[in-house]
Amino acid sequence: MGFLIPCPNCGLREVYEFKFGGEVKAQPGPEADLKAWRHYLYFNENLSGVHEEWWYHSAGCGEWFRLKRDTATNEIIED
Amino acid sequence: MAQTRPLWQFKEPAKSYDVVVIGGGLHGLAAAYYLAKDHKIKRVAVLERRYPGFGGSGRNTEVIRANQRAPEILPLYVQSNQLWNSLSAELEWNLMVWMKGLVGLAHSEAGLNAMRMRHETQTRMGIENHLLTPAELKKLVPALDVSDRAAIPVYGGYFNPPGGQVRHDAAVWGLSKGCHRLGVDLCVGVEVTGINVADGRVQGVETNKGSIAAPIVHMAPGGYSSQVARLAGLTLPVVTLPLQAMVTEPIRPFLDQVVVSELYFCYVQQSLKGDLIMGAHLDPWQSFKLYNTFDFSAEQAYFILQLFPDLANLKLMRSWSGLCDMTVDGCPIMGRTEIEGLFIDAGWGYFGFKSSPACGKNMAEYMATGRSPENIKSLGMERFYEGRMVPETYIARS
Repeated sequence: MGFLIPCPNCGLREVYEFKFGGEVKAQPGPEADLKAWRHYLYFNENLSGVHEEWWYHSAGCGEWFRLKRDTATNEIIED
Repeated sequence: MAQTRPLWQFKEPAKSYDVVVIGGGLHGLAAAYYLAKDHKIKRVAVLERRYPGFGGSGRNTEVIRANQRAPEILPLYVQSNQLWNSLSAELEWNLMVWMKGLVGLAHSEAGLNAMRMRHETQTRMGIENHLLTPAELKKLVPALDVSDRAAIPVYGGYFNPPGGQVRHDAAVWGLSKGCHRLGVDLCVGVEVTGINVADGRVQGVETNKGSIAAPIVHMAPGGYSSQVARLAGLTLPVVTLPLQAMVTEPIRPFLDQVVVSELYFCYVQQSLKGDLIMGAHLDPWQSFKLYNTFDFSAEQAYFILQLFPDLANLKLMRSWSGLCDMTVDGCPIMGRTEIEGLFIDAGWGYFGFKSSPACGKNMAEYMATGRSPENIKSLGMERFYEGRMVPETYIARS
């Protein structure tokens, strides 16, 4: 089974309408060295469990938003 | 005569080993096998929390090939092809290797140009490959529709002979047998809960069956790589994505090659028993849940019918999914980690099955000698910090 994503504008919609934007990560500051930037770009916590992530409603309203999801079950965690 | 000796026996783990391998999939089994066979290291344990081959080893589409893009990694796939072809005799276990060759389809000038580039690389490296026109493709694969009927017709393609199919369960069983014969302990139901590190050196692992001491620990956890690496405090440059595949009812033999459409992102091949194995769709979001969607089956069926319209009304028997730990450059992470004695073979995305024997062989050599073999020297994790990517591309990307 796929799952539904709650878009803040459009409500619950089929997951294939969205583009996944990856984990929410802390962006390094301007003083950070190249290694810190590369870590930010390429490395992921890749949790099996609840994490916060970005979604983009590409086939809908075009909104970027954050969501908490359990990657082990694909269950959306409401705040 | 009936077989009376068991092919393998599972063991309870001992208190210490020379090498502990985390993960009883093909990569872990192959590493343990070659440690024992090539390097005579006998005190080796393979720790598997479920059963051998639970993960990607039994969830792939059984394709082997050596026609990837990057010259840095091609020799590894070539080596793997050679090993697949010698392992049946060596293990005395039929892996049902079928070198039927791959047919790749391009549907545009741009697609064909990408094939031309790979063709040049492969030719230079001694890998046989032929670029074909639609008429030549039709001759090679009579069931293929090269007319203008399809939404996006076939524009050209290649035939790559050194590829085909290996029975994936047979590979798991064969390597389990090989490991058992050489005295490797296969420990199932053993979940690693911690990796012990002191003074920057690995000391062993904690498991649900107690502590196991080992100067060398090898992580070969497939899609679960981030979870295992985290036990040693390491973050990996991967995301784990779910991949889906499916199989139809068996029909009479009509397809003698693996057919890949690089535009539609689908693979189809006919197995020895006649069913069509199709895949592979990657859902582009992180998930550790194994699931299948109707969207996937419908989309794959549509793509396949664009290529083989005669297959209409064929029934689907099963679908399944597996986990792919994907790096950004499409190449794996193989070699040492910043912790001495801790090795990793991960980030294989969906190239893990075809490469497994060569990965085991090279990782075994690295662990036994402490020197990186030539075929994997570009694949260390440090390349992500050094900005030294290996320009592989995933062909079937969604």
